[in-house]
Amino acid sequence: MWWQWPHWLPLVVLVPLGAGVVTPAISRKSTKAAWVWAATAVAATVGASLPLVIRVAQEGPFSYTFGGWTPPYGIEFRFDEVSAFAFVVAFLGALAIVFSLRYAPHALDEARIPYYYALLLLNLAGLIGFSVTGDMFNLYVFMEIISLSGYALVAISGERIAEMAAFKYLVLGAVSSLFVLFGIGMLYGVTGTLNIADATQRLSVVADTVPVAVAVGSIVLGFMVKAALFPLHVWLPDAHAIAPSPVSAVLSGLVVKVGLVGMLRLYQVVYASRAVDLVTLNRLLTWLGAASIVMGAFFAMFQDDIKMMLAYSTISNVGYIVMGFGLASRYALVGAAVHIFNHALIKSALFLSAGAIIYQTGYRRLSDLRGVGRGMPLTGAALAVGAVSIVGIPPTAGFLCKWYIALGAFEAKNAAFGFALVFGALFIFVYYIRMLNAFYFQEPVRAEVTHVGDPPLSMLVPMWVLAALCLAMGLAGKVPLTFIEPVVTRMLAPTGG
Amino acid sequence: MEAGAQASWIVPAAVFTPLLGGVVAGLSGAWPETRRRLVLAAASILTVVLAGSVLVRASSGATQSVRLVKMTPQVWIHLRVDRLGALYGMAAAVLWLLALVYSFGYMADEHRLGRYYAFFMLSLAWTVGVAYSGNLLTFLVFYELFSILTYPLVVHEQTPEALAAGTKYIVYILIGGSLVLLAIVYAYFLAGAQDIGSPLLDLGMGRGQLLVVFWCFIAGFGVKAALVPLHGWVPDAHPAAPAPFSAVLSGMMVATGSFGIMRVVYNVFGVGLVRELAVMKQVAALAAFTVVFAAVLAMHQDDIKRRLAYSTISQMGYVALGVALVDAQAATGAIVHVANHAFMKGALFFCAGLIIKRLGVRSVREMDGVAKRMPVTAAAFAATSLAMIGTPPLAGFVSKWYLGLGILDSGQVAYLGVLVGGALLAGVYLLPIVYRMYFNEPAPVVEGSPLAQAGAPEAPATMLAPLAAAVLLVVVLGLCTTPAWSPLQLAKAAAEGFFR
Repeated sequence: MWWQWPHWLPLVVLVPLGAGVVTPAISRKSTKAAWVWAATAVAATVGASLPLVIRVAQEGPFSYTFGGWTPPYGIEFRFDEVSAFAFVVAFLGALAIVFSLRYAPHALDEARIPYYYALLLLNLAGLIGFSVTGDMFNLYVFMEIISLSGYALVAISGERIAEMAAFKYLVLGAVSSLFVLFGIGMLYGVTGTLNIADATQRLSVVADTVPVAVAVGSIVLGFMVKAALFPLHVWLPDAHAIAPSPVSAVLSGLVVKVGLVGMLRLYQVVYASRAVDLVTLNRLLTWLGAASIVMGAFFAMFQDDIKMMLAYSTISNVGYIVMGFGLASRYALVGAAVHIFNHALIKSALFLSAGAIIYQTGYRRLSDLRGVGRGMPLTGAALAVGAVSIVGIPPTAGFLCKWYIALGAFEAKNAAFGFALVFGALFIFVYYIRMLNAFYFQEPVRAEVTHVGDPPLSMLVPMWVLAALCLAMGLAGKVPLTFIEPVVTRMLAPTGG
Repeated sequence: MEAGAQASWIVPAAVFTPLLGGVVAGLSGAWPETRRRLVLAAASILTVVLAGSVLVRASSGATQSVRLVKMTPQVWIHLRVDRLGALYGMAAAVLWLLALVYSFGYMADEHRLGRYYAFFMLSLAWTVGVAYSGNLLTFLVFYELFSILTYPLVVHEQTPEALAAGTKYIVYILIGGSLVLLAIVYAYFLAGAQDIGSPLLDLGMGRGQLLVVFWCFIAGFGVKAALVPLHGWVPDAHPAAPAPFSAVLSGMMVATGSFGIMRVVYNVFGVGLVRELAVMKQVAALAAFTVVFAAVLAMHQDDIKRRLAYSTISQMGYVALGVALVDAQAATGAIVHVANHAFMKGALFFCAGLIIKRLGVRSVREMDGVAKRMPVTAAAFAATSLAMIGTPPLAGFVSKWYLGLGILDSGQVAYLGVLVGGALLAGVYLLPIVYRMYFNEPAPVVEGSPLAQAGAPEAPATMLAPLAAAVLLVVVLGLCTTPAWSPLQLAKAAAEGFFR
């Protein structure tokens, strides 16, 4: 079958990587050319990632070895169900680039636009590479590609405040990368291999587990900074709120997930090898996850800037996912893994609609935006769908994670965290209700926002594709849930492997 | 699918018709008013017809069941109609139709009608969905949609009071909803993916866990059902909302909580298990307290809509009491009281809305001589008040008769005092209004009120028609209790099923 062609897997990384590098050269003459080039490249990436998802659903995980050098000696790309994140990356990246058609010229200097698309493509390439690599060192390399392009994307508007935010992001990002690299180095020292599958096998017979435990702790710490788990979140709100909106969607929806997908990868290794006992770490993660849900919501309540609210809401959602990892029961892990995907969709829907509102009105404070729901009915509705979804009202996509992680808490004989999850989520309602109240039910302060009109189609379409997915992925929750289940089954399999 | 269940497209159609109507209403911003009214009325009438045919089928004892979409690998969104659900869905469809027609007149000069009608029709869809839910996840889906998406109706007026009431509403409802969510997740964890039907839980699952689930359910639904002390949102939300929505809010929405409690007791736990757990004594005490406490508070309310709101709390206490007695007769009374109360309270709120709209008065002290200016409205108010107190042969009497039988049957005779006391107090808080309407001289005309401008105080026929229909239903429900499809017989058959 066409989807079995082995070279889809390298292509899905190489296309955006290569296209990203040459974007500035291609588009020396016009910024329009940069957009066309980026859109083509990202469409090709979506096209290349689709067969991979079909194949993993049909056949299960598969590998690609570069130049026929088999692992553990050669470089391996390995595509399993978690790697399907690559498809979400390509898809959301495509929507972000479509959205940028009008947004980028509005938000950026014309000279910077080619670099903007180049960085965006590189960022996507890094994300895709990160989710498909089967090699720990390449994991680190792709992580750095993501981070470096991410810093630049935050700073790209060139405003002073953006540079500050990017610098804060850079410092914490660099430190966290260091922790991850340190942990990977130690694992290499213990096992003598960088290939993940190989390391898993060797770890299961390692006698001295102390260095392994240190390595795991170090990697988890690094990844949790990347994922912005409370109290390691301080870099996130500014960076995500100040970046151009399509970038915010990519950063909040996808880049934050680097830490979480990375965690899932690490846990696959550790669970399968049974090298160290994770009970203490998991308990800590559960508590931090719960704290993250509440504190993210707590900070968000006091914001007036809509993108700042959305940024803090990411911290709460990361809390859900980490709590799911920490509970470590079957349901909780499935819920957490699915929420990695769903949150990407929901948060992108929210950031894109917020971006459209800012683009049309020029305001970003809730107090200025009162009544905007009437002025931009379709945008407001998309944002409302996203908000309903992210607070977890059934039957939207956000509900599945609540349902599964709460079930997981009961399954882990830890009912208290089920209660913590559901009641913590109540705090999230508070500021989304405030937002919807301002948009729909309060008297406008700025008269002009009530008749600005909806944005052009290049913004409306991506926004509504995502909003529709927020609904569809909840109703058809069976699809992602059954898709991801084999990973968890393998992780929790009693025999290992 | 269980034996004897029939698949039928009518069941989902009854949910999706108002849903579609709501979507159309949301897009109807630029439509001429007549066209919008026609479309909405058609959708609403069609819903009544569909719910009616579901009801007729259910009354013959058939269970109708349709699976819609598989939401998780284990659980379907599943509609399944038994007698209890069919009765509840039918009552909702009819009350919503009346309130919709009433809205055409009442809301004519209001703002943002597209939004109002959209959420109004959607709330009907969610209510019918709750009634027809076939498993706990489906129930949760519709229940939460219903709770959250009625918020735009509560705050519709967009006045500071309405927004404050809306905030109170949403806080109470979200906390209640979270408890329901937890209880449902826990029940699902204990019982697995089962359909509503025979009881889901059994004593083998551990007494402690069952108690946690039970009290989460009762507290969660208790917020919606306005069990004291969880009732705080009711008296604020009703006066703030537009009158037709107050009518359905009081008539059916609060009852959704009571419906949830019935499902919990009869279908999730089962009569045997709640007896085994010995938890209903406390619920009964709470319900009895609600009946009396809310009725006493109602006496002291000056705003007519607030007084009616407290009356709703008190009446829903009856329903909870009927469930808590764990007796087939009392259960019959409780189930039928949900339907009866819907139309009684609907009619009372229609009257209150007319008086507020036409005379510009909402204080009980200003009700003097209303009968002279609005004879039809006053007569409707008087008749419905009598029904609410429980005067035979009106609807309220039927439910209270069965509640009384149930009290005697279950041997908890002390609650007879509550039953009678609640009825007396209902007289104390409703009849003075009627007295003022008929026997006091009207106050001078309020400056700037519609009365002063138009000079014709009685409401136009478009608003009187739904009011008259509601009053007629109150009479019919009291008189016509023998056909198999009548609420009483359905309630009896449903209760027999639960207590078999």
